[in-house]
Amino acid sequence: MKYYATVDDQEYAIEVGHENRIIVNGQPYDIDFQKVPDSGVTSLIIGHHSLEAVVEEKDGDWQVLIRGDLYDVRVEDERSRRLSSARGKLGVDEGDAVIRSPMPGTIVAVSVSEGQQINKGDKVVILESMKMENELRSPRDGVVGQIMVEVGASVEKNQILVVVSD
Amino acid sequence: MDVSELHIRRFDKVLIANRGEIAMRILRACHELGLSTVAIYSDADRNAPHVRFADEAYHIGPSTARDSYLVIEKIIEIARRSGAEAIHPGYGFLAENAEFARTCYEADLVFVGPPPSAIEIMGDKSTARITVSAAGVPVIPGTERGLSEEELLAAAQKIGFPLMVKASAGGGGKGMRPVHAYADLANAIAAAKREALAAFGNDSVYLEKMVTGSRHIEIQLLADAYGHVVSLGERECSLQRRHQKLIEEAPSIFVDEALRQQMGEVSVAAAEAVGYVNAGTIEFLVDSEKNFYFLEMNTRLQVEHPVTELVTGVDIVQEQLRVARGRRLSFSQEDVSIQGWAIECRINAEDPYNNYLPSTGLITTNQLPTGPGVRVDTGVFPGITITPYYDPMISKLICYGKTRAEAVLRMRRALNEYRITGVKTNVPFHQRMMDSHRFMSGKFDIEFVENQFSLTDRERPHGMEAAILVALAYHEQSQRAAQIVRAGTRETANWKWYDRMR
Repeated sequence: MKYYATVDDQEYAIEVGHENRIIVNGQPYDIDFQKVPDSGVTSLIIGHHSLEAVVEEKDGDWQVLIRGDLYDVRVEDERSRRLSSARGKLGVDEGDAVIRSPMPGTIVAVSVSEGQQINKGDKVVILESMKMENELRSPRDGVVGQIMVEVGASVEKNQILVVVSD
Repeated sequence: MDVSELHIRRFDKVLIANRGEIAMRILRACHELGLSTVAIYSDADRNAPHVRFADEAYHIGPSTARDSYLVIEKIIEIARRSGAEAIHPGYGFLAENAEFARTCYEADLVFVGPPPSAIEIMGDKSTARITVSAAGVPVIPGTERGLSEEELLAAAQKIGFPLMVKASAGGGGKGMRPVHAYADLANAIAAAKREALAAFGNDSVYLEKMVTGSRHIEIQLLADAYGHVVSLGERECSLQRRHQKLIEEAPSIFVDEALRQQMGEVSVAAAEAVGYVNAGTIEFLVDSEKNFYFLEMNTRLQVEHPVTELVTGVDIVQEQLRVARGRRLSFSQEDVSIQGWAIECRINAEDPYNNYLPSTGLITTNQLPTGPGVRVDTGVFPGITITPYYDPMISKLICYGKTRAEAVLRMRRALNEYRITGVKTNVPFHQRMMDSHRFMSGKFDIEFVENQFSLTDRERPHGMEAAILVALAYHEQSQRAAQIVRAGTRETANWKWYDRMR
């Protein structure tokens, strides 16, 4: 079976299922993959390089912790990839992007107004939580579509705050 | 010596008016001294380790701190109900609240900390400055509050440039202006006044010498109720972000024996000036010429106390309890010697790759580093949820070495061993710092983290392995799902599946 996994904007094509051998972007590797019982950790020996990792999945989102770094990984198999490409290209930078609250808190400031042209990384909202003021920034270039909150509002985790359109 | 507002006497049961790692730290010190312990907990902390490790535990209220850990009457009432004779406030919450200390006194409880009067004096910036200055402690040269513009212009010549114009009612950088030459001063004062008026409704400003290239270095003190005050040497705390310390060391690479002695002596004098008892810390700004200036005194145990413990061999929390029980300090200044090097990294639930945004969630894995020279002070276990109610510190990772280099290498190794999932952490920030030449060579000041340090130039080395691990885990998940569909309740343990694969 062939899988496509994307980490830090880099895609890897990974073929699995040939005993203890995998093929990554055409390159074969000997591997041994073990979940250590009841420990939450996974041991991977790849060409005699040994790594311990924590691999977690929640609602289809995968995260891997290796030596202090947490990697967000997107994975799909060949079949679902064919289906999604048949539906047409749905790139990350197209359509509306929403800025959600990463945690419960209070809106201290809204730094943009509706219709305003903004760039990726621009400050959009300041959210106070955990005794700190946190800047939420735009994930992309675009125009501020809708502002769904006002200063002083209490927000829940994952609540949509601002919509950024093309 | 004013200990008239402090009960100093023997006690056997201690209420710990705190939570998290510091509650655990205090519990451990109490149990080592044979004292029994009372924990308090909010709704969010029912399963927290400080509740499970204490001898007794009492619910104190809802999760928000102002309805639980900050309610003085509730804490005093639990002390009464439980028969606790002493209260240790830890740090944060009520630790520097003079009213709390005084209420303990009036309720006939031993407060494990300084007299309320000392908390009051040091808690007010302006009174503290005047008090320690009179005791011979250098303060940052500057003017008083409330001078006229003509007086400010005249005073500026004496202070020298560069200097800062600051709003008297200030905070948060508003109404603040750096000035490098006399010619720019009048304009800067006018601008600062405008800003201060808009922000605080008060246009009063004052001048302060700008201390450039400075470090934050602090002196740990211990004092008993019989007038003995001892310095346990310095801690280097210059690595900060938004005034939050991130990495602390003891000793400081910048401090030589002469400076250590000098800073220690003035710190002891400052503590004596306010009749200080128990553990306290005096924070200084130290400029590149080794001039040092009083910042403030923290009249409590500090987060970073373990680095001092490791290099002096003194258990500061045990000493706090001993002093509060009326014992004399068991050592004098001559007995204090600094051995080796200790570094502490504060592990916070925040995303270093996304503007250090706090991260909340259920801790799913928490495998701590261990081995030679490694200490972890934490209040987090798997199954604990990091909530937005309290501060985002998960743990303190502290490493000891014979030399600074050994401590740094050990920290690097320990950070690699730390496995925590469920929230994002700042472990990569610390790893990057341990690899940085500036940190290794010790050439940094309080602006280093915010102005000259970047995580983005660090290549994440294990992207491919992460991809492989997820592909394998996803593959296994799909196979298992297919098997369940084919064979109902067949045994599908992982090891078996891999066994079959070979």
